[in-house]
Amino acid sequence: MKFKHFNIALFLLMALPGLCQTMEGVVTYERVYHWSKIYSRLTFLSQEEKDRIKLTWGNDDESKTKMQLFFTPNQSKYTYASDQGTSESGSYSWRQEDYIIFRDYEKESKVEIMEMLGKTYVIEDSLRAPRWKVLNQIKDVNGHVCMLAVTEDTVKKQKISAWFAHDLPISAGPERYFGLPGIILELDVNEGDFVITATNIELKPVGEGIQLPKKIKGKKLTDASYEELISTHISDSMKSHRNPYWSIPY
Amino acid sequence: MSLLTQAQTPGRFTIKGTVIDSSGTLLPSATVMLLTPQDSALVNFGRTNEQGELEFKNVKRASYLLKISYVGYLPYEQQVQPGEEAVVDLGQIQLKMLNQDLFEVVIKAARAPLSIRGDTVEYNAGSFKVPPGSTVEDLLRRLPGMQIEQDGTIRSQGQEVKRVTVDGKRFFGDDPKMATKNLPAEAISKVQVFNGKSEQARITGVEDGKQEKTLNLELKDSHKKGGFGKATVGAGTDNRVEGKVNYNRFNDKQQFAIVGFGNNTNQSGLSWDDYQDFRGSQSFNWGDDGDFGFSSGGGVRFVSFDDDQESLTIQAGRSSRDRGFTKNWAGGANYNYDTKKTKFSSNYFYNQTDQTLDVLSNRENFLSSGTFQTSDNNTRSNLNMNHRGGIRFEHTLDSLNTIIVISNARFGRGSSRYNSLQEFYRGENNLSTRSNINNNNRFNSFSMGNTAIFRHKFQKKGRNFAVSVGYNINNSDGDATQRSVNEFFREEGDSTAVINQDNQTVSLRTQFKASALYIEPLGKKFFWETFANFSLRQDEVDRDVFDISQEAQIRNTFLSRYYTNDFVYNRFGSSMRYSYKGFNLSAGLARVYFDLKGQFSQDQTTPEIGRVDRQFTRWTPSASLNYSMKNNKYLFMNYNLNVDEPPIRDLQPIIDNSNPLYIREGNPDLQPQANHNVSAGLSMFNPGNFTQFFINVYYAYYLNQIVYNQTVSQDLITTTRPVNISGGTNLGSYINYGFPLVKTKSTLNINSSIGFNKNLIYVNEILNTTNTDRYNVGLRLDLTPSDKFTLYTNANWNFSNTRYSLNTTQNQKIVNSSYGAEMNVKLPAEMYFSSRFNLNTFVNDRFGFNQTQPILNLSVYKIILKDKKGEVRLSAYDLFNQNRGITQYATQNFVSTEQVNTLARYFMLSFTYNMRGVTGGVRRRGF
Repeated sequence: MKFKHFNIALFLLMALPGLCQTMEGVVTYERVYHWSKIYSRLTFLSQEEKDRIKLTWGNDDESKTKMQLFFTPNQSKYTYASDQGTSESGSYSWRQEDYIIFRDYEKESKVEIMEMLGKTYVIEDSLRAPRWKVLNQIKDVNGHVCMLAVTEDTVKKQKISAWFAHDLPISAGPERYFGLPGIILELDVNEGDFVITATNIELKPVGEGIQLPKKIKGKKLTDASYEELISTHISDSMKSHRNPYWSIPY
Repeated sequence: MSLLTQAQTPGRFTIKGTVIDSSGTLLPSATVMLLTPQDSALVNFGRTNEQGELEFKNVKRASYLLKISYVGYLPYEQQVQPGEEAVVDLGQIQLKMLNQDLFEVVIKAARAPLSIRGDTVEYNAGSFKVPPGSTVEDLLRRLPGMQIEQDGTIRSQGQEVKRVTVDGKRFFGDDPKMATKNLPAEAISKVQVFNGKSEQARITGVEDGKQEKTLNLELKDSHKKGGFGKATVGAGTDNRVEGKVNYNRFNDKQQFAIVGFGNNTNQSGLSWDDYQDFRGSQSFNWGDDGDFGFSSGGGVRFVSFDDDQESLTIQAGRSSRDRGFTKNWAGGANYNYDTKKTKFSSNYFYNQTDQTLDVLSNRENFLSSGTFQTSDNNTRSNLNMNHRGGIRFEHTLDSLNTIIVISNARFGRGSSRYNSLQEFYRGENNLSTRSNINNNNRFNSFSMGNTAIFRHKFQKKGRNFAVSVGYNINNSDGDATQRSVNEFFREEGDSTAVINQDNQTVSLRTQFKASALYIEPLGKKFFWETFANFSLRQDEVDRDVFDISQEAQIRNTFLSRYYTNDFVYNRFGSSMRYSYKGFNLSAGLARVYFDLKGQFSQDQTTPEIGRVDRQFTRWTPSASLNYSMKNNKYLFMNYNLNVDEPPIRDLQPIIDNSNPLYIREGNPDLQPQANHNVSAGLSMFNPGNFTQFFINVYYAYYLNQIVYNQTVSQDLITTTRPVNISGGTNLGSYINYGFPLVKTKSTLNINSSIGFNKNLIYVNEILNTTNTDRYNVGLRLDLTPSDKFTLYTNANWNFSNTRYSLNTTQNQKIVNSSYGAEMNVKLPAEMYFSSRFNLNTFVNDRFGFNQTQPILNLSVYKIILKDKKGEVRLSAYDLFNQNRGITQYATQNFVSTEQVNTLARYFMLSFTYNMRGVTGGVRRRGF
């Protein structure tokens, strides 16, 4: 993935001192994952097999998770809203893989704790925003008028669309995406494969909620070594006729 | 950052400006962005201050696209091209208000994205709800800024729309109404209105300054709907033919499919792929039986009659090559309507199988005093025809209530013929009994299953209520002719028994059942579940048997039978579940009540000759643990006690001697059989290096197991009688470990299983304990070095040691092993070669049985036609002509081997046409 150095946050902080300093809060997102669409991207499946998956599961392939983004003008933390995954009725639960995306916009650094490939990894690196293209489309997400920006994940070969709010002037966002003039309230990966939409936006002091856990265990990675690990895994999986995305975040 | 540095840096400059609206009001906090003009990439951004001023200091000297956005205004764009100056002041920048209608209706109400391209505003017409069957005109009426006049003239923001295009192309001439009146609204994804050049300017190329409103309709992506199909025909040596066709049409709401096939190559059913293509989104539905609560055995579930095991619904995955020879026909149609709120599905399926079996079987039976052998050489032919229909309707009434109604029915018809020569030997070549049997049977049956389920969720998360009712019916009538000559060879003189009987059986079984379930959450981690099940099953069977002689047909009062059974099953239970972060533990207890009543007489009008009236009550506990741990490790444990009522046939105080060599007696004192089951397992998968591991263990202990005690007379006539016996056990374990030898190129899989089985039975009043120990080791090596060559090999060794307490000299050691290899090669010119070899060996030294069966299948195919839509294939099945349908096994007090005359060597040439293209490949399926 091509990143360019993140050098725009400070300008924003200086331009809007009054608004920004008080602006902190929590965005709750609903993350929807359509696994039959993801199967249709696996290179080793024939059209017939993809159609069969779509026909059988296409109308019933959603998996939903609630996520939360804590933000202050200087920092953001994105992780699960609940400490466990549960069935709709709540009577069956499962463990969630470690997944915390923390960014410090002032120090231009990030810590991403990700459990994947059977291990917990800690990616520590400086902040590099994706190369966003801002388009002339606006829409409403949860009461906020948002504008569309797009980018591309060149490792996972994904088209990313982000809708950022005009009236929440903080460069935070869900998953590994940020660096726009407002908070990203909706993120769409590969035209609906994986959609993260804000369902609630609450402006309030976040307090401890934004802190990283005290103990972080895991194998250290940088952005470069993370990208290498992921791209090797994807190409090995495709060669072995396995879905790579069962074991890494999409 | 150089924000505070005021000194000018060469190569850098500052952009300034003030943002106002059309009335001159300053716009503070407007979002200001600097983009690259080439691809709109974001370079820098900020906000206007309280005076509406924007400033980008010290940006790299280059051209930019300045973009300003403010809620309620059209996004503004301007090119910035700096000269030599240090500061580019853009002065006052005026933003235009966004049309209020568009903002309120499109953005706020319909929540549709609005695209702005210069003066074109575009939005997703799919977000505006119109009733099904509406035209585009109806859709346009709902869109902001659009008016439709009486005569169909379209006005956009007051101006008449002169031109309508569809996907940018003209639609049937120039009348704009043609398209809007005729196209269905559902086909439209986007509506665009823009000012186009006038017709004159278009033709002459001379700009006349006039602008005409143009409406463009974009059709929905064609990938949303599709149709595909596949057809195969093949012909081969030995008159082997096969044909298959399937076709599907679907869009995001509806699915329609047909399937049909015919062959004489032993493929009697649908494969899982064919089934999924046929049933689409309704292929799999869970919980449709409406039987709530944990599993504890017993008679809630509806079982069809013993002589007619066909299921009510279409079955898949049975396309594995059958034994013997079969001719098959099948065909059907399926329609699904599938939305989030309502799901409707209906299907019809017909299938017919005509099977011929030629069987040679040998069996050695052990008695306390010695052994006897049975040889059976028989020919069977079975014809089975089934019409099946099914309907399923699921409707979500609102976010809390769901109703499901299911109805499946089957009409069956068929006949069977059984010709057999059975010989019973005492010791070596000492013929004791010989039977020549010719039986014929014809039947008709109708069965139907209906279920309705209602589920209610309460406002409180986790509180749930569900109730179900079901009514099932199974009606059958059959005619049979039984002819046999049984010769008994004895020292004191031979004798012969001839059976010459016709019989008619009419039976009707109905079942009413109901279940209820209530779940109450206790705090966040505990759930209390309570359930009740009820079933009433009624059977009525009328069987008339006639002895046929040359003069007359006399009713056999001894074998004729009329009986009615009432079977009530009740279960009430409760369980507690704990669930937190992947640790799911549940434990429960249920009380089961059985009430079996039966009345038996020789005919409807004759007095009762027997009666069953038994009630049983049992407690059945159940516990389970599922634990998902870090790094893809899962642990599970289960314990339950299953209780099954005695089959009512076994409770009848009646002797059934319809087979003179095998007489069945009932036992009215039978107790329900029960078994304690414990199992546990662990699975691990490392996706980093593709290593996987699985282990499980299981143990079962039988209480009051129903076994059929055998008494074998001097004439080798076996009389069986069911009794309860406790102490049978089954213990086993399975382990599997797989890992790549070379990542993506080769994988090795090792598996092993062991099993220890203890089986109890009385033979001639003496208790026999059969202990069978089974050991199995398997290896699988997959070589997938390239896209042109693959080799899959496997080996399996099964060793079983059976010991009989009754007669230790008969202890058996059976070794079955199998070796397999599959090789696939991609040749030039879209040609592929594939071969599959299997070698099975069957060894039993005590029985003097040692058979080896090598089977080789080969095929070569070439992909042809445009878009790779065709395939020509030449296949050879069982090239060595060795398929003999061998099975052997040892259990209770006998050991048997069987060989069935089965479809062996043939060659076939086939052609496939696939609308989606044929994908050739060397890899095995599975992902």
